[in-house]
Amino acid sequence: MALLTVAGLHASYGDVPALRGVSLEVGEGEIVALLGSNGAGKTTTLRSISGLMRPRSGSITFAGTDITRRRAHAIVAMGLNQVPEGRRIFPALSVEENINLGGYLSRRDRAVIAQRKQQVFDLFPRLAERRRQLGGTLSGGEQQMLAIGRALMNQPRLLALDEPSMGLAPVMVRAVGEVIRRIRAQGTAILMVEQNVRQALVLADRAYVLETGRIVIDGPASELAQDARVQHAYLGGSAEEAASSP
Amino acid sequence: MTPAQTTQAARRRRLAPRLPGAGMATRAGVTGAACLLSLLLPLLLSQYAMSVAVTVVTFAILGLGLNVVVGYAGLLDLGYAAFFAIGAYTSSLLELHTHLSFWETLPLAVIAAAISGCIIGYPTLRLRSDYLAIVTLGFGEIVRIIATNLNVTGGPNGLYGIPAATVFGTSILTSNAQYYLGLFLMAVAVAVTGLLSRSRLGRAWRSLREDETASEAVGVPATKVKLLAYVMGAMVGALAGMFFSARFGAIDPTSFTYNTSVMILIVVIVGGMGSIPGMILGAVIVVALPEVLRPISNYRLLLFALALIVLMLARPQGIWPARRSRPGSFTAPPEPAGAAPAPAGRRSEPGSVLLSVAGLGHSFGGVTAIDDVSIDLHAGEILSLIGPNGAGKTTVFNCITGLVTPQRGSVLLGGRSLRKLRPHKIVSLGVARTFQSIRLFEGLDVAENCLVGLAAHQGRLLARHGLLGRTTAADRRQALRWLEFAGLSGQAHLLAAQLSYGDRRRLEIARALTSAPLILLLDEPGAGTNPTEKQALMQLIRQVRDSGVAVLLIEHDMDLVMGLSDRVIVLDQGRIIAAGPPAQVRSDARVIDAYLGREETGSGETVEEVLGWHS
Amino acid sequence: MSAFLQYLVNGLTSGAFLALVALGYTMIYGIIRLINFAHGDVVMVGSFAGYTMVTTLVAQHWPVAAVVLVALVAGMAITGGLGMLIERVAYQPLLNSSRLAILISALGVSLALEEGARIIFGAGFSSYPNILPAANFSVGGAHASYVQLAMFGLCLLLMLGLYLFVHRTATGTAMRALAMDRDAARLMGINVERTIILTFLLGSVLAGASGVMQGLYYSQINFIMGFLLGLRAFTAAVLGGIGNIPGAMVAGLLIGLIGSFSDGYVSSQWTDAIIFAVLIGVLVFKPTGLFGERVAERA
Repeated sequence: MALLTVAGLHASYGDVPALRGVSLEVGEGEIVALLGSNGAGKTTTLRSISGLMRPRSGSITFAGTDITRRRAHAIVAMGLNQVPEGRRIFPALSVEENINLGGYLSRRDRAVIAQRKQQVFDLFPRLAERRRQLGGTLSGGEQQMLAIGRALMNQPRLLALDEPSMGLAPVMVRAVGEVIRRIRAQGTAILMVEQNVRQALVLADRAYVLETGRIVIDGPASELAQDARVQHAYLGGSAEEAASSP
Repeated sequence: MTPAQTTQAARRRRLAPRLPGAGMATRAGVTGAACLLSLLLPLLLSQYAMSVAVTVVTFAILGLGLNVVVGYAGLLDLGYAAFFAIGAYTSSLLELHTHLSFWETLPLAVIAAAISGCIIGYPTLRLRSDYLAIVTLGFGEIVRIIATNLNVTGGPNGLYGIPAATVFGTSILTSNAQYYLGLFLMAVAVAVTGLLSRSRLGRAWRSLREDETASEAVGVPATKVKLLAYVMGAMVGALAGMFFSARFGAIDPTSFTYNTSVMILIVVIVGGMGSIPGMILGAVIVVALPEVLRPISNYRLLLFALALIVLMLARPQGIWPARRSRPGSFTAPPEPAGAAPAPAGRRSEPGSVLLSVAGLGHSFGGVTAIDDVSIDLHAGEILSLIGPNGAGKTTVFNCITGLVTPQRGSVLLGGRSLRKLRPHKIVSLGVARTFQSIRLFEGLDVAENCLVGLAAHQGRLLARHGLLGRTTAADRRQALRWLEFAGLSGQAHLLAAQLSYGDRRRLEIARALTSAPLILLLDEPGAGTNPTEKQALMQLIRQVRDSGVAVLLIEHDMDLVMGLSDRVIVLDQGRIIAAGPPAQVRSDARVIDAYLGREETGSGETVEEVLGWHS
Repeated sequence: MSAFLQYLVNGLTSGAFLALVALGYTMIYGIIRLINFAHGDVVMVGSFAGYTMVTTLVAQHWPVAAVVLVALVAGMAITGGLGMLIERVAYQPLLNSSRLAILISALGVSLALEEGARIIFGAGFSSYPNILPAANFSVGGAHASYVQLAMFGLCLLLMLGLYLFVHRTATGTAMRALAMDRDAARLMGINVERTIILTFLLGSVLAGASGVMQGLYYSQINFIMGFLLGLRAFTAAVLGGIGNIPGAMVAGLLIGLIGSFSDGYVSSQWTDAIIFAVLIGVLVFKPTGLFGERVAERA
């Protein structure tokens, strides 16, 4: 039984269909990448999973429970966290307040909050240095760390990342990759949407490719990296190049 | 995508189902029938009902005027009754003291209202739209309080003995006659506001309502255009005020309270913002509904209030919402033979220094964003600005384009300082830009997006082509040429919101080019594009350069930067750390440390440094 | 000099009442970007709830302290419930619609509350029975009653409580977070709808307290008292920087003072014109209010 099962998901904005039957799975402790060009439906898929929008039909099952119609905050309570695209830091709250909000559902247990906060600061020492600073004053890379750290405060079983490397400098992109590996090593499953297909295929165990609201290719990441269609549309180069990149 | 893009994407989809098409014939039929009915109304209704109808017409005129401010320009106004009052008092005072006739006072009353529109508009120009609510409300109250306390306005008792209007020597006294006079004035208001909505000014208002920063960045003089919305609205309001005073022969301050302003706003929102028939329908509801409820007089306002809430819950967009401009209304005019692929813009001497930035520095709240940045951009080159997040690249753009006034240093365009100029002025001088998070006018179609940009090129949105100037064939040809240049001519009639991501990037570039710039500033045009889109984008940027426009580019995508640039400047922590040809910069040790990171050997080290892991 | 001090004392008292109302405007605006036009009328409902309680209990010869306490608590409870009901019925369904639609809905609620009160209590003034002790003391020729002092203290206490709640508790942080980014707040596990209703509860409870105290202090109340009060309180919220809680408190007191001095030295007929002129003047030079707004810009 997979941790997350999405089956036959249809969603639309007004009359414009965005998803036309998306099915995917994420197993315990797995890193799964969701790839595709802009407008393919990647973000819509994540927003449906995390309850920010209602799908038209289809089902989403998390840890054996149907969460298709559940509201976003209740889904977070089950241990499914999303780091939204653009990071969405609360700009006028301090770094520490941002992190505390990540542990909102455990707010009554101060000891738990303190302990988890320490874990976040261990993973991101930069955030500890800047804990009194306002979130909005952080650089893009630091904001991404804060967004991930904030989500980790809930000790999620599944972390959904929407474009974690978007708009980051090359070195920061690799740093985020390293963080993702660490988080998985602690047993958290990861579902990531990425524009940076190269990095995603290196990190992920498996990957799905979305096109106009449908899954068109799926399989182990190493196989997708060799797939001619993927290379042509998303890697823009030869197989050797794709395999040798970080 | 950034959050802004997400909301845009959401809006884009929300807009889609409201596309026009079906129901247009029905609308025309309904309109025709309504016109006929309104002319025959006196034959059908009692005297009493006709006097109610005269009030409906008054409120319809007021709604039409407020619609210019709220519906077209998207500015909230809670004190609109002030203009109603100014029209009424000006006309009445002139009639009483100078014996001018109703029609002779008309231009004076309208001018008085226009001046007061400037007075109220001026302090609000810099304010966020929410603050307009209270400032306009305050203005409305101030006008009422002044009217209540001055002797010349008759104090709380107001003015009386105001002569009725005369038409061809006949005094307009009966309800039926007043009704027809009102209908005539309403027709004038319909014509004027209808023309306004289709004029260049109307398009500028719509662009402002969609995105103020973006419209300034394509050359719309936002403050002037906003002020004009108040002025136009005020003039229509004055018309209603004159009609009102001539109808009753007496006015007092209680007719021009905050409640009146609220009722007019309700007309606009309930009718459907931006829609002319909506205003008339809204007036019918707001005036006639309480009349219908008159038999249960004690409860009628309560019922009216409840009906209002229910109506908003059921139809938040109003009863007759504004229709989008017709698809396909933008037909391509015949193309003159032998049109060049790139339309002629302003040309400059190749190799000469176009833009010279020297010693630029700026801090936000004590944090230095950029420090001592100097850049020379030459005609005919593509210069890239790269560096880690937070290095200050976008701040440099904002300083050049006037969104931020730099605290130190100079920005010269062909020797002329751009410092402290408003963004729209800088565009008209030849510096155009795009935004990191694509800022299109989502609710306007693709061609209109470009037509807004044309304003800057022509410099005088208002004066040279006349306020009500409609889009000329030459304008359309010009816009279409740029669309063709960007490969978008086939999509000219789509809403910007309906374009695919790659096309949105291209439209933003086409819109910037429409202002015929000397320099184009592109902020991360490659973000979020796939390899196919990226190739097309690189091609487009080269074409822009080849057409004689110098390009300053912010970008993270190294393929794009290395493939396009003639020179690269690297910023780190607000300072320039390297500059030179792409190959040289790529191998610069400081650049690798700060930005690129070590590719092959010991990549872990740099990553761990970035994260602060020192285990 | 003594006149000046007297105006100062009166201004501070009415300013404190106003500040409580301004807080509601600023909190509600901050969280859902709505100018809640019904808020002044919620104060009016609180005043009438207190009036009903006081007249009933006085008729049954309750001791004064108990009457005041019960009236205050009842007024706050009723307005709190009313605030939540208004949000749930008239605003929540419109949270994702155009902001003008929700504004018109608020105007509808405002008119409905006024008309409801007029139908029940009549169009004339209702008078709170005069039950409070008149004992007073004088400072430099100005008179201040102990009741005035106690009410002023209670207002400050409520404001301090609200400030601490919003800035020190997890729920308060959640409120501020959701004011900045509603979807991101959902992703933190915050029940957004419930938090918005809670904001209305808090704002309306303060409004109720202000309403009962004003009834007790000024004695005369009527069904449209909320209009002018709301107008001035909203002005204070904007003057202090909308969304800024300490700003609303200070600006509330300030508007109270301006009103009192204008009533005393100019004429009460001009007071509102002067208040608005001050507001417009401040906004021209400081477009985000005296203390800066606390509202995140959203594209």
